[in-house]
Amino acid sequence: MNSLLSFHDVSFGYGELDVIRSSNFNLCTGSCTALIGPNGAGKSTLLRLAAGTLRARSGDVLLNGIPLDSLAVRHVARTVALVPQQLDVPFQFTVRQVVEQGRTPYLGLLRGPGRADREAVDRAMELADVTGLQHRIFNELSGGERQRVKIALGLAQEPKLLLLDEPTQNLDIGRQVELIDLLHFLGEEGITIFASIHDLQLLEGNFSSVLLLSPDMPLTEGTPQEILKPSILEKAFNCPPRRHPLLLERVQHHAKKAG
Amino acid sequence: MQIRLPRVLASALVGSALAISGLMFQGLFRNPMADPYVIGSSGGAVLGACIGIFFFSQISIFGFSATALLAFAGSVLTMILVYALARSNGGTNVVTILLAGFAVSTMMGYSSYFFEALDRSGTSNQSVLLSWLHGVIGIPRWSQLLISGVLFLIAIVIATPLMRRLNTLALGDEYAHQLGIRVEHTRIGIILTGSLLTAVAVSLGGLISFAGLIVPHVARLLLGPDHVRLLPVTALSGAIFLVLADTLARSVFAPIELPVGILMAFIGGPFFLYLLRKSKRSYVL
Repeated sequence: MNSLLSFHDVSFGYGELDVIRSSNFNLCTGSCTALIGPNGAGKSTLLRLAAGTLRARSGDVLLNGIPLDSLAVRHVARTVALVPQQLDVPFQFTVRQVVEQGRTPYLGLLRGPGRADREAVDRAMELADVTGLQHRIFNELSGGERQRVKIALGLAQEPKLLLLDEPTQNLDIGRQVELIDLLHFLGEEGITIFASIHDLQLLEGNFSSVLLLSPDMPLTEGTPQEILKPSILEKAFNCPPRRHPLLLERVQHHAKKAG
Repeated sequence: MQIRLPRVLASALVGSALAISGLMFQGLFRNPMADPYVIGSSGGAVLGACIGIFFFSQISIFGFSATALLAFAGSVLTMILVYALARSNGGTNVVTILLAGFAVSTMMGYSSYFFEALDRSGTSNQSVLLSWLHGVIGIPRWSQLLISGVLFLIAIVIATPLMRRLNTLALGDEYAHQLGIRVEHTRIGIILTGSLLTAVAVSLGGLISFAGLIVPHVARLLLGPDHVRLLPVTALSGAIFLVLADTLARSVFAPIELPVGILMAFIGGPFFLYLLRKSKRSYVL
């Protein structure tokens, strides 16, 4: 399969310390990949490098084989959308006005939004299930509602690659299931998904591959079954499995299944 | 009529220019407390104009007097200074803006007095300076009105396409970049245009406080925060607001004519404090 996004020996750090150390990976078109790792391992940093909002210190981030740095920001914005953890909006913008900003890469300095743009906004809001909230003030929404609005904003960009930073945070179990269903649906639509996920229980059956980012080991790529092994998780999360019965149970279950 | 009309036109231009630059600065700072007076941009323009009038009054470049050019330069430089001081993590902190703006305004104001003190040549310059610092809209010459009007129109033409950019910038610099906006270019465009408007207002009416704060704020309450819709309404209501305020200032204590800057301080000061109190709860970013 074609590689949509790839990292070649990418390093990045804040100050002296490198957070991402010569990392390599490929995201194939149409894949659905989870990014896991302990707190502070650099999951958000990696996603921002993939979106081009951070520049690698060394190495190349390639989008369709072309270095991200050499592409116009507008072109990147039509291909890649990042749904961040945090979105603060000053003033009383409505949900619809926030989602409409997703059309920015398609508008010129003088050309305002047209019918196609309004339809894309409607569709994005419908997919993220925020159509009913469209006239509400963004700042007055709950954490879970904001999460869905952020996803609608990303979808309004009509990206080929959707990056999500902890999309399940602030969502109750029902909304988490809805989100996972939405990711499946987007996958069927041909959108490549790359999401950092905190809850390891969501991986199995939902993601085709997993990237494990940990300060103590090189970036590891594999299927959920390959990555969810006690030996790997213990080392990556620096957590003895017996201290975490739930994790142990899941892990043993997978180990058995994998034979 | 010969006296009234230029003065009314000048008030309208000043009000409109201040309101639009207030709108742009509030969007840029992502903060409803920003206003050309509060953040020191007006003070910078006065200082620039002052240097021009005391030292380079005979010089003109491409038909613009050194005074006007220096007012613009003063306004731009002050904005850059305050913006650089107040920025952190892609947003601006209310307290830092107000403190940086206060410090810069004070420095600019007293620097203006300093030049006045140095100038022993005559009293005419001093009265010009005083009327600037008090915010007096005088009776401008038609040529002055024409130049100001042209500059105002140029600024509006540049500002119009920037309004949609301001909506996107509201999501934060990083998000705006992610949405394909060249954030640095946009920001420079906003600073230059807003400063040009401030310089136009200052050259006609001196330091008039809070007009750039109140008008966009009330417009936003009525119409919501979409800058594209706010621009024409802010421009028009800013003009009407200052024409009314200036008329009021001249008639309340007739035959004594109060500088409109003083009236604006009386109206705008309490409004500003009210906003500040409210902002403690909702606008801390």
